[in-house]
Amino acid sequence: MRLSLLLSLFLAIPAFAQLKWDTMEQSLQAKPGDREVVATYRFTNTGTTPVTIDNVHTSCGCTTAALVKNDYAPGESGQIVARMDIGSRTGHQEKSILVTTKQSPKTPTVLRLIADIPVAIVMRPTFVMWALGETPRSKTIDIKVTDGFPIKLLKVDSDNPDIKVEVSEVQPGVELEVHITPKDTSRPEMATLLIRTDYPSDNPQTYYAYAKVK
Amino acid sequence: MTALRQAGLILLIALGLAGATAAVHPKRPSFLAPPRDPNEVTLAQTKQWSGNILWVDARSESEFAAEHIPDAVCLNFENWNEQFPKFLDRYNTGQRVVAYCSATSCKLSREIAAKLKSSGVDDAYFLEGGWEAWKQQNRP
Repeated sequence: MRLSLLLSLFLAIPAFAQLKWDTMEQSLQAKPGDREVVATYRFTNTGTTPVTIDNVHTSCGCTTAALVKNDYAPGESGQIVARMDIGSRTGHQEKSILVTTKQSPKTPTVLRLIADIPVAIVMRPTFVMWALGETPRSKTIDIKVTDGFPIKLLKVDSDNPDIKVEVSEVQPGVELEVHITPKDTSRPEMATLLIRTDYPSDNPQTYYAYAKVK
Repeated sequence: MTALRQAGLILLIALGLAGATAAVHPKRPSFLAPPRDPNEVTLAQTKQWSGNILWVDARSESEFAAEHIPDAVCLNFENWNEQFPKFLDRYNTGQRVVAYCSATSCKLSREIAAKLKSSGVDDAYFLEGGWEAWKQQNRP
């Protein structure tokens, strides 16, 4: 009687499969010039049966998540590597990665990737425009290095000789006023302004602003 | 003491009535919903702007290539430096710009609208419901 009771209790315990994550949230600090942030999420199957990861879905097209294989035996470890393409993003970014297993299809694990992408320089505005026939008066773009950021503004060039730039240094290397003037506004013109910096030293960044007559 | 008891009773009745109104009134405010972003616009609002809108598709280039709002320009964070000059080709000073992405759950259009504003596009907004909402209301 006692044996059958124990046996029935044992059989009543369901097969146990679960992933234990080292961390479900990664906070990363990007540097200027970084093209992506990479976060690794390690896990172990702490259950007694195999786990199959069915699907890894990211909340943003800018983020990819790679998994080496799908099946994990009890005690086996694995990892998901998430990469977020920085592009022109700045500031605080939060992306999610949803991991679904065959054993728990309706309760995905949500991994979070938090990245802080520094704003090295602030430009206001990033473009100036003249309407065709408008008086070709100079317009100004203010460029300023974010407080405490180790970056120096070196020079500003226009790629169009018909749109001239003149730079006033409010604070050398740190704050500039860029005065932009088209030669005339009788025909459409476009210039890309290249703002050259010294940071980071191994791959100095160039920032862009635009001037347009249309 | 009687006055205190009466005041308490009145307070209880008032609270009961207020609670019942909050629970069943058809126009009760939602206390859980986050406040609406001032830059978020509905399709109905954009229709009142008499077509003077530059639509910005904040989704990926492949999604844009598959289908998009007529005359929209593709502008996303991945290819900003290449796409922004093309945006300027189409943008006129003072024009309203409305960014959209896939659906309500997507935040890209909100971020693109914010970046456009900080770039100097004063009237930059994002569309509630995104491409899904537009498609639903513009089915052939």
